[in-house]
Amino acid sequence: MNATAPSHHTVMRSQLGRARGLGSGHSGTEYWIVERVSAASLLPLSGWFVIQMFRLGGADYEDVTKWGGKPVNATLLAALVATSFYHAEAGLQVIVDDYVHGKATAPAKLLVRFGCGIFGLLGLVSVLKLALGRKG
Amino acid sequence: MVELRLPRNSTVGKGQFFPAPAGSKNVRTFKIYRWTPDDDSNPVMDTYEIDIDAIGPMVLDALIHIKNDVDPTLTFRRSCREGICGSCAMNIDGENTLACLKPIRDMKGDILINPLPHMPIVKDLVSNLDGAYAQLRSIEPWMKADSAPPPDGERRQSPEERAKLDGMWECILCFCCTTSCPSYWWNGDRYLGPATLLAAYRWIADSRDEHQGDRLDSLEDTFKLYACRTIMNCTQTCPKGLNPAKAIGRIKELQVERKL
Repeated sequence: MNATAPSHHTVMRSQLGRARGLGSGHSGTEYWIVERVSAASLLPLSGWFVIQMFRLGGADYEDVTKWGGKPVNATLLAALVATSFYHAEAGLQVIVDDYVHGKATAPAKLLVRFGCGIFGLLGLVSVLKLALGRKG
Repeated sequence: MVELRLPRNSTVGKGQFFPAPAGSKNVRTFKIYRWTPDDDSNPVMDTYEIDIDAIGPMVLDALIHIKNDVDPTLTFRRSCREGICGSCAMNIDGENTLACLKPIRDMKGDILINPLPHMPIVKDLVSNLDGAYAQLRSIEPWMKADSAPPPDGERRQSPEERAKLDGMWECILCFCCTTSCPSYWWNGDRYLGPATLLAAYRWIADSRDEHQGDRLDSLEDTFKLYACRTIMNCTQTCPKGLNPAKAIGRIKELQVERKL
């Protein structure tokens, strides 16, 4: 008998029923893999990006657009943006899972997905504009 | 939302003081969590001064001495007093452990004794583990095999197969690990917790069990298994020196292995 339960017993479902709950969601493994793969990918991508930014230090607009127009640079930049926002989404969702409980959980998760999605997309479009938008 | 402070009815107050008898030589102070469901009052920390030269070496000896000779209202679970039953699991000096295996002399200053964290309290140091026991049952911790056993004896295992169970069969189900896990505090209604996951892997790794796939299926869930954030409190606190975090890691490895 749970001594701390309220005297009117709002929950009388058996402990086993509660433990089994809604059963397994049969998902989570791909997510777990992607979380780790994206973290590992961000190491070299971020390193490359920092080095490139130092090399471009003081460069004018023309030089930067020329740099961004090269396919290898544009591809790596797009990969960095996509991986960063995907990883951020995964991390923020973990924070929501851990700290936001009750009715706020679902809206908070949707907000995280929407926010990371839209900003990631903005980043990708910007990379494309840099890569393809050059005149001449 | 996040619980930044204790609920009002859980705030711990100051309790009674029980001084050491006159003439005591080696006095240590025990501060012990007290709460009873019999009235509406908040929990308090009672203070007991104990002459540890007059009692056995372990924290459980002090508790038994208090109950027998100082304050018979103190409530705690104990049975084997040698670290095999798991009954006297509690939080001693901030660490979940077994009172019967914790030497008093290993600790400095006042000795704080609380029930296992973040579980409903039955009384004093007795926490309610019904939910954790039900979670253990939910993973069906028994051998499931469809092949008939040999007619002339038991199901056999090679020494190598048997060795895979070492580090898991020793678990005494005291739930020190589960109740030390912040992820379990946050999502204990959906996350199974380290003790139950260790038990789950004990059966997944058993060569005689024929339901590894089903077991992995039922664990593949963003909360049941993957709410483990590899905080590692479980392994650090286990009074039997086991490594539940490693068992959880192995389950994740197997989940990945069958996906890739």
